[in-house]
Amino acid sequence: MNTVDEILDYAIDQEQQAADFYEDVAQRAETAGMKKILLDFSEEEKRHKKILQTVKTGEHELTPEQEILDLKISDYLVEVEVSDNISYQDALIVAMKRERAAYELYSDMAAKIPESHLKEVLTGLAKEEAKHKLFFEAEYDEHVLTDN
Amino acid sequence: MSLKDLLSPFFVWQRAFEKPYTTIRPTLDRPGAPAYRGFHINIAETCVGCGSCHEICQNQAIDMVAVDEFVGRDGDSGLRPRFDYGRCCWCGLCVDICTAASLRMSNEYSWIADNPNEFHFTAGVDETPWQDNELGYRRAEGYHLYPPKRIEMELLPAEESVKSFDEVTLGYDIEQAKKEADRCVECGICVATCPAHMDVPDYIHSIRDGDYEKGLKLMYRTNPFPGTCGRICTRKCESVCPVGILGEPVAIRWLKRFIVDQVDKKDYKRILDEQIENSDFKVAIIGAGPGGLSAAYYLRQQGHAVTVFEEHESGGGMLRYGVPSYRLPDAELDKDIDHIISIGVDVKYNTRIGKDIQFETLLEDYDAVFMSTGLSVPSSMRIHGEDHARVLSGLQVLADVASGRDPGIGKKVAVIGGGNVAMDAARVSRRFGADVTILYRRRISEMPADEEEIHESQEEGCTLIQKAIPVEILDADSPEQVAIKWGEAEMVDDPKGGRPRPVLREDRMHTETYDCIISAIGQSSNLDYLSKELQEQMAVEWGKFTPVEYQHTTLDKVFVGGDFANRTADAISAIEDGHHAARGINRFLNPDLYINAEQQHDI
Amino acid sequence: MTLSTDNILTGHSAALDFAQPEPLDLTSGKYVKLWQGPQHPGITGNMSLELILEGDTIVDCKTHVGYLHRGFEKLMERRTFIQNFTVVCRIAVPEPTFNEYLYSHAVETISGIEIPERAIWLRTMNLELMRLASFLMWIGGMSGAFGQYTVPNWTIAYRDFVLDLFEEMTGARIYHMYIVPGGVRAGLPDGFRKRARDIMDGAEKMLDQVERVMFNNVVFKARSKGLGIITADMIDPYGIVGPNARACGFKRDLRKDEPYLAYDQLDFDVITGSDSDAYDRAYLRLQETRQCINLIRQCLDHTPTDGPFQADMPNVLHWKVPAGETYVKAECTRGEYGYYMVTDGSEFVRRVHVRGPSYTHAIAVMERLAVGNNIADIAGLMVSLHNYPPEVER
Repeated sequence: MNTVDEILDYAIDQEQQAADFYEDVAQRAETAGMKKILLDFSEEEKRHKKILQTVKTGEHELTPEQEILDLKISDYLVEVEVSDNISYQDALIVAMKRERAAYELYSDMAAKIPESHLKEVLTGLAKEEAKHKLFFEAEYDEHVLTDN
Repeated sequence: MSLKDLLSPFFVWQRAFEKPYTTIRPTLDRPGAPAYRGFHINIAETCVGCGSCHEICQNQAIDMVAVDEFVGRDGDSGLRPRFDYGRCCWCGLCVDICTAASLRMSNEYSWIADNPNEFHFTAGVDETPWQDNELGYRRAEGYHLYPPKRIEMELLPAEESVKSFDEVTLGYDIEQAKKEADRCVECGICVATCPAHMDVPDYIHSIRDGDYEKGLKLMYRTNPFPGTCGRICTRKCESVCPVGILGEPVAIRWLKRFIVDQVDKKDYKRILDEQIENSDFKVAIIGAGPGGLSAAYYLRQQGHAVTVFEEHESGGGMLRYGVPSYRLPDAELDKDIDHIISIGVDVKYNTRIGKDIQFETLLEDYDAVFMSTGLSVPSSMRIHGEDHARVLSGLQVLADVASGRDPGIGKKVAVIGGGNVAMDAARVSRRFGADVTILYRRRISEMPADEEEIHESQEEGCTLIQKAIPVEILDADSPEQVAIKWGEAEMVDDPKGGRPRPVLREDRMHTETYDCIISAIGQSSNLDYLSKELQEQMAVEWGKFTPVEYQHTTLDKVFVGGDFANRTADAISAIEDGHHAARGINRFLNPDLYINAEQQHDI
Repeated sequence: MTLSTDNILTGHSAALDFAQPEPLDLTSGKYVKLWQGPQHPGITGNMSLELILEGDTIVDCKTHVGYLHRGFEKLMERRTFIQNFTVVCRIAVPEPTFNEYLYSHAVETISGIEIPERAIWLRTMNLELMRLASFLMWIGGMSGAFGQYTVPNWTIAYRDFVLDLFEEMTGARIYHMYIVPGGVRAGLPDGFRKRARDIMDGAEKMLDQVERVMFNNVVFKARSKGLGIITADMIDPYGIVGPNARACGFKRDLRKDEPYLAYDQLDFDVITGSDSDAYDRAYLRLQETRQCINLIRQCLDHTPTDGPFQADMPNVLHWKVPAGETYVKAECTRGEYGYYMVTDGSEFVRRVHVRGPSYTHAIAVMERLAVGNNIADIAGLMVSLHNYPPEVER
């Protein structure tokens, strides 16, 4: 992976894989409610994929300098297993952790290469993933960490 | 006759050269005094439609009329005052009594219209030229037509209360209760807001009349747990009480408790005098909490044979096992429950559905089933080390104490959470002599616990650390102890809006060792007794039900209510769910009396 | 002087002749029957006099009242205690405040409410302003009744300035509804004291001019001196009070005799006259008007600027006043004004009886004094007694 296009193709593919993953879990989910949530997650990933596709065609630009709020919720949570009767809390943990992994992957790659357009694209992708992580973490903060 | 007397009248000419008293401008140009009682202004947005202006008007010049814009608002009757200037005498009592201070008068006093109907107008809704007038009569600061401050409830001093499980609130005496009851303006907005729609103004009226038996009867029409709710209700009524807009809301909860305190338990039967004609139907109820027992009470009143299945050895559910007795003494809970049982409700204790009896058996044997098993499973924090033996759940600690068991908390306790369970667990721990630290991830102002509970827990010596995020549970040197690593948080505005979110500061971590950590961050339902197929059929999501009209599930015979079937998850909502389900079950059992009849009349 | 029942009874039998006059033969052609009022739109016309004239001399007078009857006392029985204070002010249109005060005071007496210091002073000032406004209007009326129309222009104008003060202080010019059970409705607005003092200064100067052109006026003197003399032996049997009694030398004023509100802290003397005819009564009232200005100035100096102006009140929407009865009184411009109130512990008053001084002055005293006078002086005589017919027919 050395060119910008290759990186973007990889990222698009990753989003597709994530969408497929949620769809797959959704198929096995026991309740209709869970199924719907997981399908929503899958839709969210497809939306991410579309954004990256528009980045590739040049219609949309990444924003590597943008500061994204990091709630740091997923960092300290345990790994959970993906089971057929997964709870909403656990489904969100899975999603947060996946986004976090992607974020770390891109930022690590960016850190290893010198200043270049490629580095900028990688940073931009990392920020994009950070946004996705924030989406799920905010959801977790709002609906799971109610402390009541 | 002196010459002086003859000449004196001519001195009037002296005045001919003085400035005249009269103004040359037309009189209409003279504005009224700054506090003139002129035409009415109503800030319709602020007004809540309590109708006190209508009540006090001696000319009956004010009608309360529905204004579409405000109908259906929370804490708002949807009505606004309409003035009839053929009757008004501009005394301004309506302004003086206005609970929201939305009603005032302009200093405008001249109004000409060719259509007399124009003088019949809804101030603040119908357009008037003086609506934004800054001058005119306002109620003066320090002038009140009802006492704005409530009668304070006497509390056990904190140094006393922390030593025992005696009730902390001491209750009103007759004089205090009458004074507090006097503050009610009888608007009825509380009735609309109360989940159970209790007749609040009427039972408060009965206190003023000293007729507590009438008060008790009124309360039982909508709530068979008045003694309980009089102590621990979440009292949404008080949050909308218009008296609270400028002063303090009427202490509705304490007044309810006062009525119950005035009536002896042995007189309940005679006063309430339920007339029951037996029907041929049998109804099963799962869970003897407030929801289940409320349904049982109202179903039994309809004559149905009611059997309640309860897994514990006593009834009350969370009221008994979740609410400590210093907030709700067992005797007071039993006063409510015993009366429900006394009208012929059969409760089978120590019987767990799914273990002792299968749910499917109930479906076959009974004509209808009401489920209200609440939220009994503590939520998990999902942080590392959480399965440490010294991490206890708040619910378990409270249940142990309620059952007379030693909760085994040690002498130094950390409580995690900010809800009522967390506060209760903390205060219970104080009563066992422990040093208590409460860790809450947001700010005190955002705590979901009752304000009084937060206040009292601090009074009783609990240390409350806000903006503290637990990160990891660690082993301590001794197996009898446990350590917790937590980090300070700063509140950061969410760019997407909503309330600020706590963000962990990894540079400010703390590790502290405790004898135990009590986790009280929430709970969920346990639906083991329902098969996956049944859950699917009833569209259970995340362990919660979304019942349709009359608490009906999608299953023909099954009705649900209580914490796992509503969003508020409090006692009063569960009680209403039970009452509502009882009506629904009665309709379901007697379709000819209700549903078919309605269809015939095309209602 | 002290009042006792003995006094009244002995005065009644010994000094006065209440015997009916010989019946007049109205068909003889000697007499003319003439009605004065009730068509006239003023104090002299709100009630009517049935006069029998021989030439232009009155030989018999019968007073007729009832044209204004609105049944206030009855209305009050069907209104709550807070609502009634908006009704009572209508009982004496030129002097509503005394009704507000007495009604509120009666309710407070029965329910044991003590009003704060600031409210006491504000009430006193309000009552004295009312007295001033009422006297100013009366002087105009008196002057007008004798055909002099310049003085009314001056006094009524100054009355209007006083009404301006009321408008500022209470929010209304006539029906102030300021004194409410429990205290008053508001404190003084900013700058009120200065404006009030200016108006007092102006009124004082104006009164000097009134004295010169009215009381030294030869026509006024000629017509009012010796008109309608109230003799000392009439005072107690007829229940004559206020300036009508004081003009007769009776030093009788409730503000001194039984001080209420802040009157015991105010510096003033009871003014008395000696001739007790229409002129003397008018001159006494002029002096009392001046005294009134003085009292208002004292009130302006002493009224506290802060502190509560209302006692702690129950919720007036369902206010039940304990069962009881009371009679409260105050010195209004015409004398003793009284409220008798009976309550039964409910949200409504059981009975209120309003006893205004006009009752005797306008009916019995007027019938007696009219006889023997010239028809042209009858309006002046009537005004000189200072009557407000609405309070007769409350």
